[in-house]
Amino acid sequence: MNRRDFLKGLVGTSYVVLSGSSVLAPLNALAASGADASDGWLTTGSHFGAFKMKRKNGVISEVKPFDTDMYPTDMINGIKGLVYNPSRVRYPMVRLDFLLKGHQSDTTQRGDFRFVRVTWDKALRLFKDSLDEIQTKYGPSGLHAGQTGWRATGQLHSSTSHMQRAVGMHGNFVKKVGDYSTGAGQTILPYILGSTEVYAQGTSWSLILEHSKTIILWSNDPYKNLQVGWNAETHESYAYLAQLKEKVAKGEIRVISIDPVVTKTQQYLGCEQLYINPQTDVALMLGIAHEMVEKNLHDTKFIEGYSLGFDKFLPYIKGQTDGVEKTPEWAAKITGVSAEIIRDLAKVMTKDRTQMLMGWCIQRQQHGEQPYWMAAVLATMIGQIGLPGGGISYGHHYSSIGVPSSGAAAPGAFPRNLDEGQKPIFDSNDFKGASNTIPVARWIDAILEPGKTIDSNGTKVTYPDIKMMVFSGNNPWNHHQDRNRMKKAFHKLECIVSIDMNWTATCRFSDIVLPACTTFERNDIDIYGAYANRGLLAMQKMVEPLYESLSDFEIFTRFAALLGKEKEYTRGMTERDWLVKLYNDCKAANAGQFEMPEFDEFWKAGYVYFGEGKPWVRHAAFRDDPEINPLGTPSGLIEIYSRKIAHYEYDDCPGHPTWMEKAERSHGGPGSDKHPIWMQSCHPDKRLHSQMCESEEFRETYTVNGREPVYLNPEDAKKRGIKSGDVVRVFNDRGQLLAGAVVSDKFPQGVIRIQEGAWYGPVGEDGSKEGGAKIGAICSYGDPNTLTMDIGTSKLAQACSAYTCLVDYEKYQGKVPAVSSFSGPVEIAL
Amino acid sequence: MRWLLNIWRTLTKPAKYLTLGSVSVSAFLMGIIFWGGFNTALEATNTEEFCISCHSMESKPYQELQQTVHFSNHSGVRATCPDCHVPHDYGRKIARKLEASHDVYGWLFNTVNTPEKFEAKRLEMASREWKRFDRDKSAACKNCHQYESMDWDSMSKLAVKQMKRAAELDQSCVDCHKGIAHKLPEMGTARAPELIAEVGRGVSGVQVGQTYFTALTKPLFFNEKTDVEAGTLNIATKVKVLEVKGTRAKIGITGWRKKIGAGRVIYYDFGLNILSAQLSKDAALEEGVIKTFEEKEDPMTGLKWQRVEADIWTDTDYLLTDLQPLWDYARSTYSTACSVCHTQPAEAHFDANTWPGMFQGMIAFVNMDQDTQALVQKYLQEHSSTFDKSAH
Repeated sequence: MNRRDFLKGLVGTSYVVLSGSSVLAPLNALAASGADASDGWLTTGSHFGAFKMKRKNGVISEVKPFDTDMYPTDMINGIKGLVYNPSRVRYPMVRLDFLLKGHQSDTTQRGDFRFVRVTWDKALRLFKDSLDEIQTKYGPSGLHAGQTGWRATGQLHSSTSHMQRAVGMHGNFVKKVGDYSTGAGQTILPYILGSTEVYAQGTSWSLILEHSKTIILWSNDPYKNLQVGWNAETHESYAYLAQLKEKVAKGEIRVISIDPVVTKTQQYLGCEQLYINPQTDVALMLGIAHEMVEKNLHDTKFIEGYSLGFDKFLPYIKGQTDGVEKTPEWAAKITGVSAEIIRDLAKVMTKDRTQMLMGWCIQRQQHGEQPYWMAAVLATMIGQIGLPGGGISYGHHYSSIGVPSSGAAAPGAFPRNLDEGQKPIFDSNDFKGASNTIPVARWIDAILEPGKTIDSNGTKVTYPDIKMMVFSGNNPWNHHQDRNRMKKAFHKLECIVSIDMNWTATCRFSDIVLPACTTFERNDIDIYGAYANRGLLAMQKMVEPLYESLSDFEIFTRFAALLGKEKEYTRGMTERDWLVKLYNDCKAANAGQFEMPEFDEFWKAGYVYFGEGKPWVRHAAFRDDPEINPLGTPSGLIEIYSRKIAHYEYDDCPGHPTWMEKAERSHGGPGSDKHPIWMQSCHPDKRLHSQMCESEEFRETYTVNGREPVYLNPEDAKKRGIKSGDVVRVFNDRGQLLAGAVVSDKFPQGVIRIQEGAWYGPVGEDGSKEGGAKIGAICSYGDPNTLTMDIGTSKLAQACSAYTCLVDYEKYQGKVPAVSSFSGPVEIAL
Repeated sequence: MRWLLNIWRTLTKPAKYLTLGSVSVSAFLMGIIFWGGFNTALEATNTEEFCISCHSMESKPYQELQQTVHFSNHSGVRATCPDCHVPHDYGRKIARKLEASHDVYGWLFNTVNTPEKFEAKRLEMASREWKRFDRDKSAACKNCHQYESMDWDSMSKLAVKQMKRAAELDQSCVDCHKGIAHKLPEMGTARAPELIAEVGRGVSGVQVGQTYFTALTKPLFFNEKTDVEAGTLNIATKVKVLEVKGTRAKIGITGWRKKIGAGRVIYYDFGLNILSAQLSKDAALEEGVIKTFEEKEDPMTGLKWQRVEADIWTDTDYLLTDLQPLWDYARSTYSTACSVCHTQPAEAHFDANTWPGMFQGMIAFVNMDQDTQALVQKYLQEHSSTFDKSAH
């Protein structure tokens, strides 16, 4: 039979073909049917994971983890409280004196809680008038609208994008570079390993589990920190941690947690802890390096083929440049780790396949660049960079790093920038000789000392004279250091605008406060699983926006309308148009590689999966051929010595990793005679930074006496007559706070922990909320940044140094004031 | 219609004289006969002979196939029409056969019965096939070519770089390998389609002595004929055309290289890690390819650099006379894609050698194909503080 005959035979019966395709149709329909939105359960998600939520009588009645989430976080119990809590911003409000006197208001009243309710029209008009006034009087250097933070998830309603696009349509403004989490790391590592590393995908967990014999958790608590993610978190990393736990129990992998405290991860894994004096990690690493050289344990072939400048670093180890040989004995004195253990570590780390997993805490301290650089040098000396289960990672505790990426294209977002060809109303780019971009953590410096020029990453930055700040979905009165210094700076500002869903301290220290609705009161889409990019999640609106709150899209569309730019702002598209566009753009980018259904079908199902990625080894390509796959460093190789950094001639960041004494250090270091205790303010276990502190019922599961817990060493506490449950006053020369004592043997002598993200709630000496505006007021809840030091890590990164902080504490004897953090403002009727 | 009703009644009446056994047995036998016949027909329509029995298939696609490695090669294994165009598993094979009703229609109504008609329809037909390959990630190809069986060591480093990435994604083969069995239709490009839609596919008729800029990352070749790759030419790289033969041009790439390894990588200028071209080891060592000039030490790394010119061949497509459209596209992409999470730093915020580290270290959530990534990185480097002193 040939094709022609066969086809001719078919002509008469071609209807078979037609009916054939309709037989397949019901199958397709079956495959497409997913969750039904009408049954009360809807799909959404946030930094804390993906959820199913039940809506009953117009309120959220139940929240349960997504079917695929095998390791949901406890914080799921706090989700409802994000929506329903007494801290919600209900109406647009304006600070009393600002409403009366505008830019001539008494700024020392900021933070006194007195606000007046106004209409949306009035509030937006005031906002615009203030911007007009600033741009007219000072030009773009008078406005800083570039301070952005963790926002709520959602690619369409991302609050910082909306604010910056809308304010950007009005005029230009000062922006930031870097962030508070990884400021030193992301600046130093491009010089050393050729990438920020902190925000790059890492070697897959499965390969680490398969190949590593030793894992060093250096100041790293993934079990605590993987609960949240930059996008809706899948929590898949926990499955690997569970396998690791088994391997630790069977003795197949040795895990050593180098940390002053017993971490949550260490307790979970049941692994070893190596105690180290706080802030002395570089000294320990130098001691290890010295031993490696002494015993010839380092991989000279790898050093020669893949790195530069070991020869310039070696004399420092040997003490030929500064007269101090970095022997294990030398390191032991500083670190509190015995020389014997240091020698043993050098042996252990070079014997078998060793994976170093670095946490972010040790770079959030003075000279925070150094431990990251020195750790990279150690990994180079070990010589396993680019091998599965070897080398170094700076991100396995963050947002699914280590879970293989699906490789799918992620969805875009509502634009942050003006479209091509659009111009702001105030289009001046005259920053009056000042910089238009400043290091993120140096804005308070700028407000206090405008015109000052500082060194920053090889360039000079001149501080602009900032007169107005705009914040959206961002709470610097959590993440910036030294509250009392911030108060001084805020006295110098003419106007502050905050757009938020809850009365954060930043709102309370603002002049105009606009209520945004929560994630759960609008429709959006999100990447499911950040770096894993496991799929796309529909964020279905659970309830209508509460009180007078509006979505970010709606707030700034109204604002743009005031500027006569509504069409320009929205591109003439509604919320739904944008959702469909973001989805369809993503679908087009994935065409042929990742099948995505039509939007309506996706929305009904609540998600689309891209499947699992393939295991991957960081730096493997570089190891394979460093010439064709060079690192992004100046030389293309690992730079143990950086001529580029050396030529900046910074005293606090020389050309190779260096041990430098800190401004404050416990355990015999500077300042420890006066304030002997080191305070660590790590990322919280029960919040995402300051997000969820307002979730009342959930907060009550961990507060002590209504206050943020402070974790105390038993000996230290006993010496001060303190037991668990007491209210403790923690203080230094910069400030004071009250917190609730939790005495625990997980914390060594000379160390306390107060987790950051505890809402700032200052009160007067009389315990009044109004008195909280005063400089020196005590924090009634326990915000650790009341006490931290506001200095840059070094002239290189100028990042925050929250971990260089000494305090002392005592049992609080006075009348315990009510916590002022959560009840919002005192409404004044005019 | 009465006769139809009668037949219906007969068929629906319970068997009166036949035993249940004989009904079952005869149904069983008829099933075998029908099934056998069906499968015979199925097999018959699944041969090359059947496919090319139709004139339009024989004259164009089959003729083209005969010119390719899939028809004749040193191992003697041949891919026939159904090997690529019909799924191998039974269920999907049947579905594909049902789809073929389209071909019947085409044959009946002479849709592609002349070379002109065939050419006019070529893109449409090819697109349909590509889509089908995309849907099953080129399962037909993978019957013979599997990522798992690939020997990375026997491939060139440049090939490994592309292939490993594809393997990680379990990418569909035809994403990159289009036009390997039949002539490629006149079309845009599968790579960076949005970019190419913006900047075009390059000039037609390149001129000797003129300088051009690459619109995509392009393969380099040893001479005007061979398919053996001699390296890759990065996107947005300036080249001078020295000679044109058919669809190949001999080009001169000027720049600097680090004196490490085989000196295979050519950069834009002294001390600047702005990639122009990567040569294969063989090409870098081949007599006459690289001309060398003065040497200088880079004070920022202590590495020796050497000025070079490489004269080598590339295809004449994707060569632009103007660089600006590439930069315009890169600027707009950077502004959109890199502001999803945060404000993107100004181009001149970092210097040319800091940008690769910052860009590569932030790329995780960014939605860019490899060509676009390379372009944006180069755009940032060439608009960095190294060239633009206005920042800060």
